[in-house]
Amino acid sequence: MSAENKKTKFKSKSRRERVSRIIIYVFLTLLCLIWMIPFFYLIFQAFRGESKSMVTYVFPKEWSLNNFKILFNDTNFLSWYKNTLIIALFNAVLQTVIVLSVAYALSRMRFKGRKLLMNFMLILGMFPGFLSMIATYFILKLIGLTSENAVPGLILIYAASSGMGYYIAKGFFDTIPKSLDEAARIDGASRSRVFFRIIMPMAKPIIIYTIMMAFIAPWGDFMYASLISFGHEEAYNVAVGLYKWLDKEHINNYFTVFCAGGLFVSVPVTVLFMALQRYYVEGVTGGAVKG
Amino acid sequence: MAEVKLKNVKKQYENGFVAVHDFNLEIKDEEFIVLVGPSGCGKSTTLRMIAGLEDITGGEISIGENVVNDMEPKDRDIAMVFQNYALYPHMSVYENIAFGLRLRKVPSKEIHQKVLDAAEILGITDLLGRKPKQLSGGQRQRVAIGRAIVRVPKVFLMDEPLSNLDAKLRNQMRAEIILLREKIRTTFIYVTHDQTEAMTLGDRIVIMKDGYVMQVGTPQELFNHPANLFVAGFIGTPQMNFFEARLDEEDGSYTADIEGYKVKVPQYICDELNKLETVPTRVQLGARPENLILDPTGENGIKATIRVTEMMGSEIHIHADCADGKSVILKVQIADLSDEEQIQLLAKKDISFTIRERTINLFSNTDGRNLAVPDAVPVPQEKNKLVYDGSEDADNKKKRNDQ
Repeated sequence: MSAENKKTKFKSKSRRERVSRIIIYVFLTLLCLIWMIPFFYLIFQAFRGESKSMVTYVFPKEWSLNNFKILFNDTNFLSWYKNTLIIALFNAVLQTVIVLSVAYALSRMRFKGRKLLMNFMLILGMFPGFLSMIATYFILKLIGLTSENAVPGLILIYAASSGMGYYIAKGFFDTIPKSLDEAARIDGASRSRVFFRIIMPMAKPIIIYTIMMAFIAPWGDFMYASLISFGHEEAYNVAVGLYKWLDKEHINNYFTVFCAGGLFVSVPVTVLFMALQRYYVEGVTGGAVKG
Repeated sequence: MAEVKLKNVKKQYENGFVAVHDFNLEIKDEEFIVLVGPSGCGKSTTLRMIAGLEDITGGEISIGENVVNDMEPKDRDIAMVFQNYALYPHMSVYENIAFGLRLRKVPSKEIHQKVLDAAEILGITDLLGRKPKQLSGGQRQRVAIGRAIVRVPKVFLMDEPLSNLDAKLRNQMRAEIILLREKIRTTFIYVTHDQTEAMTLGDRIVIMKDGYVMQVGTPQELFNHPANLFVAGFIGTPQMNFFEARLDEEDGSYTADIEGYKVKVPQYICDELNKLETVPTRVQLGARPENLILDPTGENGIKATIRVTEMMGSEIHIHADCADGKSVILKVQIADLSDEEQIQLLAKKDISFTIRERTINLFSNTDGRNLAVPDAVPVPQEKNKLVYDGSEDADNKKKRNDQ
């Protein structure tokens, strides 16, 4: 009798669990679908052949590559794309070097004003970047890095402020035991050698993370890019260029081309992520110190 | 292969906490020195100052002929083994050991030979191709030692190298360090909080408390003639027993009176007492548990009631309370007792014991100094705690954690 009771209890519990799981999965699937809708919408519109204006339906009536032809042959898209790629590549290198150096220094070295500096950067980071936009613009204008020279100007802006994004990397370096640095210093390594030979190989996940973030950011920057390029179309990045097609006068002729452009923008970011994600997942500190 | 001298070395952190006060020590060439003390006593800080990993606030450290105060660790020609091994996780065992030599631009043929030799000494030749994460704790510690010995440094520093190993492995590695020392004749400075390691490894031991050096001496000196109450309590397990005693003088000889039980003070202590300007009348008499002798009649000596008996295999530890409520510990060798006597002893409630007179030490009641050790250091008073009780000062710990 009691055994039977137990069995029933056990069964009912498992049924309740199963039901709650089903509800959770249905909810998550719905969320996923809602999240995916804009992506699929973009893809469908990019391949729509019947008209170039905005329409109220999702699935194209006629599939075509015409939008891509227009994108590459009749617009400045390739030049915007090149601008953005150049900025992104430079940014990926410069920002990674700067962020990792700042983070390592703040994690390992003890100097006067270190905490003050960290707090200052934290508070400064709370103000939106565009507050300083006008001042930055005039400084760049003085040294001739605006309008048609917006690309080097933007590279400079991104690099200059990148050190402030040290938190995550510093958090990572803080988890690498200091005794490894000390062991290497006693073994005969200088500070820079410790950084490049010992810490960097262990910091792959954070290097990859920093590269990805630095590479991705310029593709979506609109405010600075539009201000610094100041109407010079050849100096636009993709975000500024594509957004122009959403103006009242362009949207009916360029909407599907805009979608095709949007699709292309996601390519380098996706490729980079796919290529680097395996390094991103797991650290390599196993066995360094007593766990 | 060098002498190490520390002159008035001091370490004070920015928040004002003094980790090491006026540390003076001359370490001879090829000597094995052990720094020992409870957590927070400044022993690791001292070692790290010698290594160059911590700046010194005052004083002078020299290795061989060179004053190294402002010298980078890499230029001091030292090697260090860390408590947590600190192996480079992305390098193989071979590369870990070879790293220091590569940085010193040693020809690769020579590196290869040296790595093989070091691996041979430590018995890790089979592991050379592995990564640290594929090794056990003991193997990792061997690699860490290998990395240090391969360079044949002037000074070999070890910061609690065995603390992370289990008891069995620790004993084994301790023996190996003694053997290693025979093979590599160089100066060793070894930090530990484990008194067994200190006693078995050190030529001389430096005992520290709250940043002060309490005593420097050979293991025998420290054990038989501790300079103060702290050292007496820290060295030896179970801890030394202390009794309140009154000193009575008669013709230059002294007798210590513990609640009516009289102990004749050994002549060498009497000689030292006679040199003092004023001989205190109340003192602390220290006697180690093995020097309290059970009286078979149960009549003579100090009477006590047994609280707990611990059977340790080769000996029995008796925890007892004296008539005045004071706890004492007696260590009785089992080999001295027949089975019947053992059973009787374990069943006993009331005992009495005498003290082996020639082994006693007398300590000042005011500053804890051993009255028979000239120039003994008083126990730092600010903590109001003369005898080591195994606890770390909470205040001390907090200050350290603030760093």
